[in-house]
Amino acid sequence: MEPLAPLRFVQDGKPHDRGCGYDVQFRIGHRQRAATTKGTVMKHHRNTTAIHPSPMSRRRFLGSAAALAGYGMLLPSAAAFAAIPHAGNFGELDASSPGGIDLVLEKRALKIGGKVGSAIAINGSIPGPVIRMREGKDVLIRVHNRLHESTSIHWHGILLPFTMDGVPGISFSGIAPGETFTYRYRLKQNGTYWYHSHSGMQEQLGHYGMLIVEPAEPDPVAYDVEFPIVLSDWTFENPRTVMRKLKTIEGYYNFQRPTLANLDDQAAATNQSVGGVLEKRWAWQKMRMDPTDIADVTGATYTYLMNGQAAHENPTLIARRGQRVRLRLLNASAMTFYDFRIPGLPMTVVQADGQNVKPVETDELRIAVAETYDVIVTLPDDRAYTLFAETMDRSGYARGTLTPRQGMSAAIPECRHRPMLTMADMGMTHGAMKMDGEHEMNHDLPDVPAHHPALLPTQNLPDRVMHGPDEHGPASITMAMSAYRQLDDPGVGLGHDDRRVLTYGQLRCLHTPDDRRPPTRQFDLHLTGNMHKYIWGFDGKKWSQSDMIRFVYGERLRINMINDTMMNHPIHLHGMWMDLYAGHDYADNPRKHTVNVQPAELLTVDITADAPGQWAFHCHLLYHMEAGMFRTVAVVRSLEEGPINADA
Amino acid sequence: MPTLKLFCCLLFVVSIATAAPTFAQHEKHVAAKEITSPSLPEGMSLDDVLDRAAQPKPDEFPDAIHDDPLRMFTLFEQLEYRVQDDGPDHLGWEAQGWIGFDFDKFWWKSEGEAGFEGTDEGESEHDFLYSRLISPFWSVQVGVRYANEWESTDYEDTWYGVIALQGLAPGMFEVDSSLYVSEYGDVSAEFELEYDLRLTQRLVLQPRAELAVYVQDIEDDNIGAGLSDVKLDLRLRYEIKRGLAPYIGVRYKLLVGETANLSQTAGEDTEQLFFLTGIRFAF
Repeated sequence: MEPLAPLRFVQDGKPHDRGCGYDVQFRIGHRQRAATTKGTVMKHHRNTTAIHPSPMSRRRFLGSAAALAGYGMLLPSAAAFAAIPHAGNFGELDASSPGGIDLVLEKRALKIGGKVGSAIAINGSIPGPVIRMREGKDVLIRVHNRLHESTSIHWHGILLPFTMDGVPGISFSGIAPGETFTYRYRLKQNGTYWYHSHSGMQEQLGHYGMLIVEPAEPDPVAYDVEFPIVLSDWTFENPRTVMRKLKTIEGYYNFQRPTLANLDDQAAATNQSVGGVLEKRWAWQKMRMDPTDIADVTGATYTYLMNGQAAHENPTLIARRGQRVRLRLLNASAMTFYDFRIPGLPMTVVQADGQNVKPVETDELRIAVAETYDVIVTLPDDRAYTLFAETMDRSGYARGTLTPRQGMSAAIPECRHRPMLTMADMGMTHGAMKMDGEHEMNHDLPDVPAHHPALLPTQNLPDRVMHGPDEHGPASITMAMSAYRQLDDPGVGLGHDDRRVLTYGQLRCLHTPDDRRPPTRQFDLHLTGNMHKYIWGFDGKKWSQSDMIRFVYGERLRINMINDTMMNHPIHLHGMWMDLYAGHDYADNPRKHTVNVQPAELLTVDITADAPGQWAFHCHLLYHMEAGMFRTVAVVRSLEEGPINADA
Repeated sequence: MPTLKLFCCLLFVVSIATAAPTFAQHEKHVAAKEITSPSLPEGMSLDDVLDRAAQPKPDEFPDAIHDDPLRMFTLFEQLEYRVQDDGPDHLGWEAQGWIGFDFDKFWWKSEGEAGFEGTDEGESEHDFLYSRLISPFWSVQVGVRYANEWESTDYEDTWYGVIALQGLAPGMFEVDSSLYVSEYGDVSAEFELEYDLRLTQRLVLQPRAELAVYVQDIEDDNIGAGLSDVKLDLRLRYEIKRGLAPYIGVRYKLLVGETANLSQTAGEDTEQLFFLTGIRFAF
């Protein structure tokens, strides 16, 4: 770690003291891309630093400070309010450029959806700047912590030495207030990724941004213009307050619960009699479950953002008719699943989690927290199209416009009826009860030591697994009596209208990655939680109660994830890919850094344990993670060395 | 199934064919050989990193997450003004709260009422408990109760030992049942049952029942063995926030069994009806 030095920024070779305010020089998105422009683009980005002191904003700040003094510091003046910048004014940096880049983290007042909030800004904005890197090249990133608390940056989905992974407590000790930490690593991959804090609950406060790794080889994806679409959720509450509420009052943010008043609505929406609805509701009550518990944190506190802007602010992307537009979709939310669509415009999915996939045309896709999807769309005419990102629980939406000209917009669709969980989310689907031996998962498979590898099957894996007698203790309300494959199920609330909706089963990698050995070892991992007490974990244990999960360096390992809970969990493994068993040829299985596991889903991933060190492995819903749904993974020489306490 | 087997065989053969050289050599390092260029921190060899990976986190590292911090919660289920037709009005409360962790907590419960008109009289009960989450919905609690009663210059108090089971029963009924043994050896039990019927997203009707049972007569207090008294409440609250809800309601209080007989003989009412106005809040 470097010693604390006065922070100075260099522009045009001359050092400047950092101004009180700064503007980022250019907005992204309008960068035209053509095969021959790569060199120009690079030149364009060869600025020694990201941050440009802006005399203008400094004057404005001083002016407002004077105004404040004039009012005796009693009330923020209109001038002071006006001087507060809007969120969403982020730029772009090239981390592969000589000299590297600087990222400054500080608490800052920003207008978010028109209201002033206190955000953790990266170089002055939320989201932080889009960071470009180049495959095969080194990056150099100096992170300056100007917060009053420790911080970190995790490079989500990037393969790198474990000490560069940015998880305090696992990769390093964190970046103390006032300190600068230098990240330096070489890119071994390309695609759309992101970065965010792994400290406390800072992600909720805007500490995230997009990361784009340019391919070393020509990009197999053809496009003319590209835009980042960073979806996120913002609350004006302190995230710790949100956590306290979740921990102490069940359903605190759910204002779409079953009530007497919406009995008729539910009957009409589900084509049942009122008596039938009452019977269903009683069945749920007997289980002490709420079928409307789709999202823990909702529009009751969240402002939903696209590129840092609320729906009414209408972030606008400009593209001409006929251009191939690449939208790099990122869900940087703390808790929100988005269903993204562009009414009237089909999308071709070309990349998932930074990995190219065989193009799939679709009308809608659900993007789980921490996932990325790249889609190609083409404006067929001179009309505007709405980029519509509805939350999974339908309590709100983020929205923008893709249009040939500034100032145009299209109709905003109405949110659909909020979905409700069904018995299928407890593993009770048709045919679930008649278990025959050949579909039952073989639980007798021992942890096979690496020196005696027996190859596990790579196709036709069991469709369903019955839950064993272990209920995982008081930290787990095991709802799913069986878990089953849901690769072709787009998820709760989707697939019931005429739209084509993307499923995991449709994802096939474009080129087969190097290592597709069949795994030699496997284990089951139950995703568990007690939603009543808001305790989350794996196999009924929180992180602090757990041992590290050990991978043997070099092995191919299979994890069968079994979601015992009634919620979706996007599970993220740091440092290594997860090959998602998607039901087709083994060679076609897509690689992901984050896999969403639906209620009662059985989902299998195969991992090449090629990254020695210790890594984080967790549910990417921020409050689930912080409540214990987290493990330290140790990639070790062998299993003979014995368990390692995660919390020692 | 034959196709599956065939495929597996095929796959095995293919795998062996591709991986054969490594299998044949050092069995222990078979898999590791496949990894050509692992990402290593500057200045560390593969062995260094593997050694490090087998260790718990260094002392100077913070915890990766804080999944069991000390938390505190307080809920005033009732803080209300109780009006009755014939008799003094009362200020009543029922509150509970805890300080602790996910599984282990210090849990307190307090209830009571004080007269508002005429003589200064009242009673209160305070439980101080260690609470342990024993299943997803249930906690077992052990501790003491301090109860007091006063009427102008009279003051009486009693200590009890308590064992309780508190939680959420199937059907979403909040249940709190406690067994008490007083310092004089008297044994009694209390059961509380409540249910939230949501009329709208913020308007909630809450029926509630409270029963008291005694194992023996307590003559000084006009209590007879068996079920002694029943409180049936109905409150309609409006949740301005989840943790802040004004309400109105009624309470029907009834003495039954031997206790009713004893009270009647002593010239006391065996039935009381209260109208309630109050506020429910949590923090």
